[in-house]
Amino acid sequence: MIGLAMDCVLALGIVFLAVQTVRSRSLFQAMLMFIVFGLLMSLSWARLHAPDLALAEAAIGAGITGALLLVTWRRLQAEGHDPVESEQSAPSMWLTLPTAGAASLLVVIIGWVALQLPAVPGTAGELAWQRLEEVGVSNPVTGVLLGFRAYDTLLEMAVLLAAWLGARAVATEFRPGALPGPAHAEVPLVGALLSLVVPISILVAVYLLQAGGSAPGGAFQGGAVLAAGGVLLCLTGRLEAAADTSGLERLGLILGLSVFSLVGLLVMAGGGPMLALPGAWAIYLVETALLVSIALTLVLLFAAAPGLRRAS
Amino acid sequence: MNPSALIYLLTAAIVFGIGLHGLLQSRQILRQLLCINLMGGGIFLLLITLGGGADGPPDPVPQAMVLTGIVIAVSATAFALALLLRWHELGDSTELDAVANADANTHDE
Amino acid sequence: MSLSEVMASLLLLSGCLFYVAGTVGLLRFPDVFSRLHALTKADNLGLFLICTGLALHSGSLRIAGLLLIVWILGLLAATVSCHLIARRAVRSGQMEPPA
Repeated sequence: MIGLAMDCVLALGIVFLAVQTVRSRSLFQAMLMFIVFGLLMSLSWARLHAPDLALAEAAIGAGITGALLLVTWRRLQAEGHDPVESEQSAPSMWLTLPTAGAASLLVVIIGWVALQLPAVPGTAGELAWQRLEEVGVSNPVTGVLLGFRAYDTLLEMAVLLAAWLGARAVATEFRPGALPGPAHAEVPLVGALLSLVVPISILVAVYLLQAGGSAPGGAFQGGAVLAAGGVLLCLTGRLEAAADTSGLERLGLILGLSVFSLVGLLVMAGGGPMLALPGAWAIYLVETALLVSIALTLVLLFAAAPGLRRAS
Repeated sequence: MNPSALIYLLTAAIVFGIGLHGLLQSRQILRQLLCINLMGGGIFLLLITLGGGADGPPDPVPQAMVLTGIVIAVSATAFALALLLRWHELGDSTELDAVANADANTHDE
Repeated sequence: MSLSEVMASLLLLSGCLFYVAGTVGLLRFPDVFSRLHALTKADNLGLFLICTGLALHSGSLRIAGLLLIVWILGLLAATVSCHLIARRAVRSGQMEPPA
């Protein structure tokens, strides 16, 4: 009963925030509403018995996406632009409202029919639960991510790398002033906060990585927390943009993809199917490489710079 | 059917519809990005609701897929924001049609 | 419901009340300083009450310790961001520096 009430409140909040994102006059307000929308989505993942997703949505969906949106807004403002919604050339409401309504109706029909269908034996999820011991971890989501559907995770890392390469290819002129600099560095409170929070973010990231085998967690959540520590360092002027990607950064960017592929190919050379990771140690090895890559890629995407170096 | 599942299903549908409507109606690229992310969020909610998280052990396969989807959404958003900044540098506007309209105007003269 | 459950529920409810008070302050106060005041004071106390209620509800010392760390980190973040926002408001001329 209480659960149902909470679901109703969450649903109303999510819908309200979505409406505010679309209808706000000010783009800044729309972005803030979207960040809070991400937080409420995280709560609904928790209600839907998906704690891994709740962690990931809070860290990546609300946190990193929010930071990216706000820093882009800041850069647009710094170039003297204040985006205002122009009134002309929007398609007529009579066209878009029925389209959106039909799309919603389609989603409802799909969901309703799918929920009414009787449970089919032998679905992928059931097989995953039954054969989880073969993978070596007890968290089913980690088992599926790195065991049963390892291809998806491998290609997901490739997508992340491709996004950074694309962002790097598009940004032709290197703007060293893209990040706030020494103005924040001189505030003493910030230094004290960083000296506490950044080591804690590393600790939490490694803990999430290690706990991902048996409890909610994993490489993606840990990578996002580590990236959040890096974003803090960028924002407070401890890290500044560098004109070129250093060798260590290049190694870190491709580490996840290459370790994953290498382990998978070695397994194939050893006679098994490709990417059938032979036990929990292989999963932790690959996840550590993924953690480093994810964190580094997200921080570099935030900084919109080829590389980062310690501020002089 | 579980009433919670119905609530989340309706929420997913409404959020998807709102995102689609906003995508069609808005001219600012930043808001269009937000609407695309809204649509993605709605579909993720649909996937997990269909995964039967409400009763019994949750199905891990849609959860893993939505986790992958969240990371891909943030990658795509980051790339799109880099494109937006470059577009703004080139044409000093944050709307997709403005540069094309400006070109058309100069051609008419 | 046992006594500890009742206590936990009361603590959670009062924490929520403090959060509501802080949010009302955010929405209704006229300028940056008073909004910051409402947010940091009310929200941090609300967080403390909620963490205490959850710790009582869980009944485990480890979780109570972790929630204490959560509260301390929340305090730190709120303190520093409040200071930075106030600094920015004074520097950009939006507010007069307090005498």
